Amino acid sequence: MTLEQFNLTSAVRDHDFAETVYPDGHKLFTCIQCGTCTASCPTSYAMDYSPRRLMRMIQLGLYDDVLKSKTFWMCTTCFSCTVRCPRGISITETFLSLKRMATAKGVEKKVDSARFYQTVMDVVRRTGRMHETETMMRWMLNPQVLVGKPLRVLGFAPLALALLRKGKMPLIPHKIEGVDQIQAMFDKAAEIEAREEVAR
Amino acid sequence: MKYAYYPGCSLEASAIEYDASARAIFRALGSELVEIPDWNCCGSSPAQATDYLLSLALPARNLALAEAMGLDTVVAPCSACYTTLYRAEEHCRQDPELKAHVTEILAAANLEYEGKVRVRHLLDVVANDFTPEEIQSRVKRSLKGLKVVPYYGCQTVRPFLAYDAPDQPMTMDRVLAALGAEVMPYHLKTRCCSGINITSSKDVGIKLVSDLLVAAEGADCIATVCPLCQMNLDSYQRDVSRHLGREIKIPVIYLTQLMGLAFDLPDKDVLLSKNISPQQPVLDRLGI
Repeated sequence: MTLEQFNLTSAVRDHDFAETVYPDGHKLFTCIQCGTCTASCPTSYAMDYSPRRLMRMIQLGLYDDVLKSKTFWMCTTCFSCTVRCPRGISITETFLSLKRMATAKGVEKKVDSARFYQTVMDVVRRTGRMHETETMMRWMLNPQVLVGKPLRVLGFAPLALALLRKGKMPLIPHKIEGVDQIQAMFDKAAEIEAREEVAR
Repeated sequence: MKYAYYPGCSLEASAIEYDASARAIFRALGSELVEIPDWNCCGSSPAQATDYLLSLALPARNLALAEAMGLDTVVAPCSACYTTLYRAEEHCRQDPELKAHVTEILAAANLEYEGKVRVRHLLDVVANDFTPEEIQSRVKRSLKGLKVVPYYGCQTVRPFLAYDAPDQPMTMDRVLAALGAEVMPYHLKTRCCSGINITSSKDVGIKLVSDLLVAAEGADCIATVCPLCQMNLDSYQRDVSRHLGREIKIPVIYLTQLMGLAFDLPDKDVLLSKNISPQQPVLDRLGI
């Protein structure tokens, strides 16, 4: 793969980008590009930009290119980079922040993991818990997920059957008693986020 | 000693054997896991990737419920739940403004979270609240001769470093040694299994799981302390075999199940039949 080069003279740059990343913000400028994060990352080989490169792109304010990147979606949140970063930057939290920004911007639409996360949140909102069976069914049968990859469902079928046979896939979701509380919390969080500048 | 117990969603479904064995070994050790009444999903990665405030408030509801129980420690057997609950506690402590938002969200549910309760991983409690001698004294059937690879996984020890080292932790090794098992050296103790990303990026997940299984070959079994690690290592061995072009088959078992075997607990407390990978080689080795 040829690495993409950015023309920093013509590129549209948002110089406040790093400041908006939570929780490290301005601290991201202290990244010395040592590459410990990339070397520690179990999925860097599957990313379009390595974690180190993405950190540099954030510093340079390459907002669109960063948010369109696959890199942070490939992060499994294993925190290897975070505990090793000599600057004490939480790269994992940075990537979580990018996931939320990309979701808010709507640029995550084509990302399977983003769809999966949303599916989980919908189930949690409705029942208070993440019912594994329902989550998997809803996610796999999502038309957007199925399109172009109809074999995906079949790929998970043996696992589903094995779990079913072992009695590990209860079919009826457990709705918690305080499900009203959960829904009130979802609404209140949305209200606060609409009302004021809060960490996202 | 009584602990507030947060099982987490997996332990109600794909990890019922972890739930049963965890409760049973605490009873055997003269202690008790008291389930937090009406607990909710902690939100884990999905909440963290979609809504920051909710990613703290969802776990905080459980911490508030635990505080109302009058217990000071929450025990989480799932590493993702553990990290998520711990993160809520940590972020709220570090940022009063954020804490105020979380307080406001919980108020909408008529709940209050003070920040008094401490979150600990089940492994931390098992390894540190009971001495190796106490564990040994419960052993009725030593695991002598059983070669066990201790696989900790990532969020069990990262990023909070609350009780063990992030790369070469030793807590599980100590517990296994107390059971009489032969603990194998393993350089991938905390390398990631890809967690729930295996669902959306299966190729990547299979590669990571494959690396972990190959490095464990030669052992009689792999011990885990996280339902995601267990699920990925235990139930994708057929995919891994296809990926490798040769068969790989290794029993994957929860640490708590191994403790149950060593304590000679009844089947209903160990539930070995629930694991996907065949556990017969482990039983054969132990002469059961």
